[in-house]
Amino acid sequence: MTTRLLINGRARDVDVEPHRTLLEVLRDTLGIFDAKEGCNEGVCGACTVLLDGRPVSSCLVLAVATRGKPITTVRGLERDGDLHPLQDAFLRHGAVQCGFCTPGMLLTAYAFVEAHPHPDRAAIREALEGNLCRCTGYTKIVDAVEDYARNRCG
Amino acid sequence: MRMIEGGHGFAGDPRAVGGVGGHIGAPHSVVGQRVVRHDARDKVQAATAYAGDWAMPGMLHGVVVRSPYPSARIRGIDTTKAAAMRGVACVLTARDVPRNTLMTDVPGQTTTVGPLRAKLHVLAEDRVRHQGEPVALVAAETLEQARDAADAVEVDYEPRPGVFDAEQALAPDAPKVHDEGNLLAHWRIARGDVDAAFAGAAVVVEGEYRTQFVDSAYLEPETGVAWIDSDGVITIRLSTQVIEHFRDVADVLDVPQNRVRVIGAYLGGGFGGKEDVTVEVYLGLLAVKTGRPVKMVWTRQESLLARAKRHPYRLRYRTAAAKTGEILAQDVELLGDSGAYAYLSALVLLYSTVTACGPYRVPAARVQARVAYTNNPPTSAMRGFGAMQTVFGYESQMDRVARALGLPPADVRKANALRRGDTLPVGQVIETHCALPELIDRAWAGLGAPTPPRAPHAKVGRGLACNLQPYGRIVWLHDWASAWVGFEMDGSLVVRCGCPDVGGGQASSLCQIAAEVLGVPIDRISVHIADSALTPLAGTTTASRQLYMSGNATLKASGELREQILGVAAKLLETSVADVDLAGGEVRAADGRTMPLRQVLAACARMGVPRSHLAVYHAPAGEPVDLTKGSGKIFPDYTFGCHAVELEVDTETGRVRLLKHVAAHDVGRAINPMSVEGQIEGGAVQGLGYAMMEEVVLEDGINLTTSFASYLIPTTVDVPDVEAIVLESGEGLGPFGARGIGEPPIGPPAAAVANAIEDATGARVTRLPMTPERVARALRLLT
Amino acid sequence: MQPFEYAAPASVDEALALLARHGADAKVLAGGQSLVPLLNYRLARPRFVVDVNDLPLDEIRVDAGRVRLGALVRHSTLAASAVVARECPLLTEAAALIGNVRVRSLGTVGGSLAHADPAAELPLAMVALDARFELRSARGSRTVEVRDFFSGYLTTVLRPDELLTSVDAPPTRGAGTAVEEFSRRPGDFALVAVAAIVTIDRQGRVENARVAIGGIDGVPRRIPAVENALRGEPPATDRIARAAELARAEVTPQSDALASGEYRTLLAGVLTKRALARAVSRAMAVPA
Ligand SMILES: Cc1cc2nc3c(=O)[nH]c(=O)nc-3n(C[C@H](O)[C@H](O)[C@H](O)COP(=O)(O)OP(=O)(O)OC[C@H]3O[C@@H](n4cnc5c(N)ncnc54)[C@H](O)[C@@H]3O)c2cc1C
Ligand code: FES
Ligand code: FES
Repeated sequence: MTTRLLINGRARDVDVEPHRTLLEVLRDTLGIFDAKEGCNEGVCGACTVLLDGRPVSSCLVLAVATRGKPITTVRGLERDGDLHPLQDAFLRHGAVQCGFCTPGMLLTAYAFVEAHPHPDRAAIREALEGNLCRCTGYTKIVDAVEDYARNRCG
Repeated sequence: MRMIEGGHGFAGDPRAVGGVGGHIGAPHSVVGQRVVRHDARDKVQAATAYAGDWAMPGMLHGVVVRSPYPSARIRGIDTTKAAAMRGVACVLTARDVPRNTLMTDVPGQTTTVGPLRAKLHVLAEDRVRHQGEPVALVAAETLEQARDAADAVEVDYEPRPGVFDAEQALAPDAPKVHDEGNLLAHWRIARGDVDAAFAGAAVVVEGEYRTQFVDSAYLEPETGVAWIDSDGVITIRLSTQVIEHFRDVADVLDVPQNRVRVIGAYLGGGFGGKEDVTVEVYLGLLAVKTGRPVKMVWTRQESLLARAKRHPYRLRYRTAAAKTGEILAQDVELLGDSGAYAYLSALVLLYSTVTACGPYRVPAARVQARVAYTNNPPTSAMRGFGAMQTVFGYESQMDRVARALGLPPADVRKANALRRGDTLPVGQVIETHCALPELIDRAWAGLGAPTPPRAPHAKVGRGLACNLQPYGRIVWLHDWASAWVGFEMDGSLVVRCGCPDVGGGQASSLCQIAAEVLGVPIDRISVHIADSALTPLAGTTTASRQLYMSGNATLKASGELREQILGVAAKLLETSVADVDLAGGEVRAADGRTMPLRQVLAACARMGVPRSHLAVYHAPAGEPVDLTKGSGKIFPDYTFGCHAVELEVDTETGRVRLLKHVAAHDVGRAINPMSVEGQIEGGAVQGLGYAMMEEVVLEDGINLTTSFASYLIPTTVDVPDVEAIVLESGEGLGPFGARGIGEPPIGPPAAAVANAIEDATGARVTRLPMTPERVARALRLLT
Repeated sequence: MQPFEYAAPASVDEALALLARHGADAKVLAGGQSLVPLLNYRLARPRFVVDVNDLPLDEIRVDAGRVRLGALVRHSTLAASAVVARECPLLTEAAALIGNVRVRSLGTVGGSLAHADPAAELPLAMVALDARFELRSARGSRTVEVRDFFSGYLTTVLRPDELLTSVDAPPTRGAGTAVEEFSRRPGDFALVAVAAIVTIDRQGRVENARVAIGGIDGVPRRIPAVENALRGEPPATDRIARAAELARAEVTPQSDALASGEYRTLLAGVLTKRALARAVSRAMAVPA
C-alpha cells in the first residue's frame, strides 16, 4: 500500500505492507537508521521518534498508521546542518558513551523541554524514565538536559 | 614465582620512551582535558553505522534455531520441511559445520591457558545442555521467512533430567552435564596459620552470601553482517569486543586464518557479553554456504535467553579480627555456577580467588573456590569478571566486623587497607600506591549533610564499600597490543589500532595520546579501529585493558615517530633534537623559529625517513602460578575504589530509595576526565542494578526473564546522581600513569547498599538482588 | 509480524461494518501499545486490522451528570485534562501512573479497558468509580456496568464485532480519591495497585468508602470487607490501618518472576492503608 510518510519535513511515498512497524520501514525500507531497535516491545526507548511532536516507540506503531503525520527522527533536530543546542549539550557534558540510546534520549528530552521549559532534575529524570541507558548511569544525561533547558530560556 | 620483564626495554615502564620522557611530566595540552569525543559527535547525529545499520545488496537473513529444553538428547533433526519453504536459502545443522568445535580460550590471546582451554559445539550434536542452545541455522530472503523456517525445523528431543544448582551439581549422584563430571575448576589459596589466627581472634564473624545470574543487557543485541569479499575473503562486520575471533571463525570453517576478516563496528555496549563468540561463526557458516551476504540480529528475547551471564555465587566467609579491628584471617569458600559450558568460568573463578579477601592486609587466608557445570544458561565474562561478586562478601564482612567491635566501618577499613609493599594472600606484592584511606575519606565526606526521612515509616542509612579490581590480563598470558601512527603529507595524522570501541571512548583516547605526543590538534587526527585485516591487532576490549595496552602501544608508536620527525626537523633547522618540539601542528625550535610540519614531512619523504611507525607494547609477563603450592604475581596491577551511599528504607514494604551515591577511584591519570567520570557513573549504576533489581530468574533451567519488562535494569528514576571523585596518583601502568577504570566502579555498590540498609534498619540482606521483597523478609515483614 | 489486511475507517458505522464482516478474524487497533507487542511476538495473528484512530471518539465531556470519555482519549490527554482533574481526579492520577511517556502518547482509554490487564490502572479506577461502558456493533449498542465488563484475565464481555465507544463515570466532587501502586520499577506494570474513594459526612465520619484492588486476581475488584469496616466510622489513622488489614485476608495472589504471592499480600495491606489515608485527607480538605 503506498503510504505518504512525512519524515523530518520531507514527504516520502513508500510502498508499505500494513504489518510493518514504523521502525522496520525507517530502517529496512528507507535506510534511515536514526532509530535503533533495542527490544521491539516498547520498553527501552532506543526506537523513539516524534509523531506529531510527541515521543512514540516506532517499534509499536504501524507505519501505515502514521500516514500524513509529521515524524521527527534525531536528524530532524539539526538546523541547517548545525547541531541542535540539545545535541551540543550532550557532547559538552559527555552524555554519550556507546550512543545506542542517544537518538531516543535526545528526542524524548527535546519534546519534554518543549512542553516543560523550566524543569528541575527530578522532573527531567521522570521524563526520561522510559529511555534506558546501560552505559552512562544517567547523571551526565540529566546534566545535559538541565543545561540545555536553562540556556534555552536565557 | 617471579615476574619476567617483557623482552623489550620499553615493557613495564612506558615512561622509558626516549624523546617523550620529559614530555610526560610536563603539563599536558590534550591529555587530561575534557575532550569531546569524535565518536560522540557522530552518535548525537545518528551518523555512526552500528553493526545493525549495515546492509548489503541481496542480503539474506539468518536465524538460530534454539533448544527449548535445558537438558535433552537429540534423537534426530529433520530439516526437509524447513529447507523447502519459500525464500529459504539453507538450513544447517551440526553435520554441515566443517569443524564443529569452538575453543573458548582466552579470547584474542595468542598464548593459551593450557588446561583451562574450554570448548563447545558450534551447533548441538546429540545433546543440548541449556535452554536456548543453538541447534540449527536458517538463512532466507526475509526475516519472516527465516523465522517461519526456523519454526519448521523438526528436532526430536528426549528430555533428560538436569541439574540446576551448583551445589546439587557437585553431589555424587547428580546428573552429569558433561561426561568428565560437573566440577569444572577449583582454585585454592592457603597462606599463614589460619586456625591459630581464628583461635586468637577477639571476634569471628561468619556470613553466607548469594549473588544472582546477571545479563549484560547492552541496548544493542548481538548483531552482524557477513559477506564474501571480491578477493574471496570471508568478511564479517559485527558488534564485538574481540576482533581476534576471526581465527575461531576460520578454524570452524576450516579455512586458513588469513581468509577471514572481522570488522568491529562501534558497539552499542559490550560489558563482557560480546567477549565470547556471538554471531560471527554463524554468519561465516551461512555466508560460505550460500555465497551471499547474510545479516543476523538477535532479538532481545534471544539475547536474554541464551547469552552467557554473570556467574551467580554462593560465598561463605569467616573473618577473624582483633579488638582493634585488625583483620587476622579470612576463611572463604566460593562456589560459582558455570551453567552448561565452561567458557571463561575457570578464569572468572581465578579473579574471585585472588580478590576474595579484598583490598586489605590479611596475614592468614584460606580460600577454596569451585565452579560447577549445571543446565543453566552458560556464564562467562561480564564487567568485573569474578572480582565483583566477592566484593559483596568481603565488604559485608568488614561492616559486620566493625559493628561487632563497635568501631566505625570507615576506620576499620582504613586501618587494614593495603599499602605499597604489602602482599596479597595470593602472594603478589602490591607495587604501586594504594590510596584507599583517602578514597574512603573523600567518598564518605561526599555524602554531605544527612537527608531526613520523608515519612514516619521511612528510615535513612549510610554505607560504604571498597574494592580492588585487576586491570590488564593475567601476567602469564603474555599480553600485547600494537598500534600504527602515521602522518599524511599535509600534517594530518592517522592512528590505526585493532582495538574495538565499546562506547567507553577507547578510540578517542588513542587520539588524545597521539595528539599529546605529536603536537597535532585532535581534530586533525583520523582513527581507524577494529579491522582484523587492516589495523594492527591490539587484543580485546575487556579486562579494563584497552587504555592500558593499546594506549601504551599508541604512546610508544607516537613517541618513536616523534623522534623520527624531530630528527629530520633538527637537521633542517640546524639545531639539536633536544631543542625542537612538535606543537600546534608545527615544529618549534627553542630559539623561537618555527617550521610547518608539511615541510618536515616533505623532507622526510626526500630523505627516506618513514613518516609512520608501528609499535608493539608487551605487558609485564610472568609464568603460570600454581596457587596450591607457591604463589606470586597474577595481575599487572589493580585499581582501588570506595563508594558511599545514602538511602531510605520504607519499613512497611521493604522498598529502598537510593538518595546519594559517591564513587571515588584512583585512576592513576585521567586521560579524558569526562570519559573517566562516565565510566565511574555508568559502572556505579550497573552495580546498583545488580544490587537492587537485576536477576535472570530461572525455574529448572527455564528462563522466566526474557524481556526488558521482566529483566529489570535501572531507569533514570531508580538511581540518584552519581558523584564521581577522580583521584590521580599517577601510579598506573598505562600511558601517563593511567590505571584501568572500565570495570572497577561496578564492584562496590551492592555491598555499600547492604551496609546502608543495615545502618538504617539493623537488618542485614545477604542475597542479591536486594528486591523490596528480600528487604521485607530481612525486616521480618514476611514469614 | 504476520501479514494482515488493514483499514482505517473514518466513521464508526464503517468500522462496525468491517468488524461485522470479519468477526473473530479482525482486531481493533487503537493506540497499539498492547496489540502491537503481541503482533511483534506473533502471539496475535489477526487477518484483518481495523485501525480506529480516525474515528471521532476522542472527546472528554461532562454530560448528564457523568464524566464521559471517548474510547480514543489518550492516556496523556486524560492525565492533562482540566475537566477530569476537577470532576474525577482519580483518573488524572491513574493515567499519570501508566507506563512511560511513549505509552501515554498513544495508549487509549478504550484500549486499556478492552485489553483488561489485571494490573492496569484504568480498569482499576473504573471499578472504583462504578463506571459504565458503551458498546456498539452493527447490531446495535448496549451499556454494560463495570462489574459485568471484565470477565477474567485479559478478557471482557466485548464480542468480536463490538467496539467500545465510550466509558462514563459519576464525578467524585466532594469525595477524596487516591491511587497507590507498587511496582519493582516505576513505570512498569504494578505488582499491586489500590484505588480508594472516600466521602466524609457532616459529623466527620466516613459516609462511604470504595476500595478497589488490582494485580491480585484476573480482574480488578472491590474489597467490600474494607469498605464496610470504615463506613460510619471516624477516619482515624488506627481505624484505617485496621480496616486495611482486612484487605490481606481478602486476597490470595499468585507468585511470578517479579514477586511472590505472600509479598503481594503484604502490599495489599500497606497500599490499601496508604490509599485510604490519602483519600481521607483529601476528603477532609474538600470545602463543605
Ligand atoms: C512498555 C509498556 C508499559 C506499559 N505500562 C502500562 C502500565 O503501567 N499500566 C497500564 O495500564 N498499561 C500499561 N501499558 C499498556 C498501555 O496502557 C496500553 O496502551 C493499553 O493497555 C492498551 O491501549 P491501546 O490503546 O494501546 O490499545 P491497543 O493495543 O490498540 O489494543 C489493545 C486491545 O484492545 C482492543 N481494543 C482497543 N480499542 C478497542 C475498542 N475501542 N473497542 C474494542 N476493542 C478495543 C484491541 O483489539 C486489542 O485487543 C504499557 C504498555 C507498554 C508497551
Ligand atoms: S525498540 Fe522500541 S522501545 Fe525498545
Ligand atoms: S550510551 Fe550506551 S546505552 Fe546509553
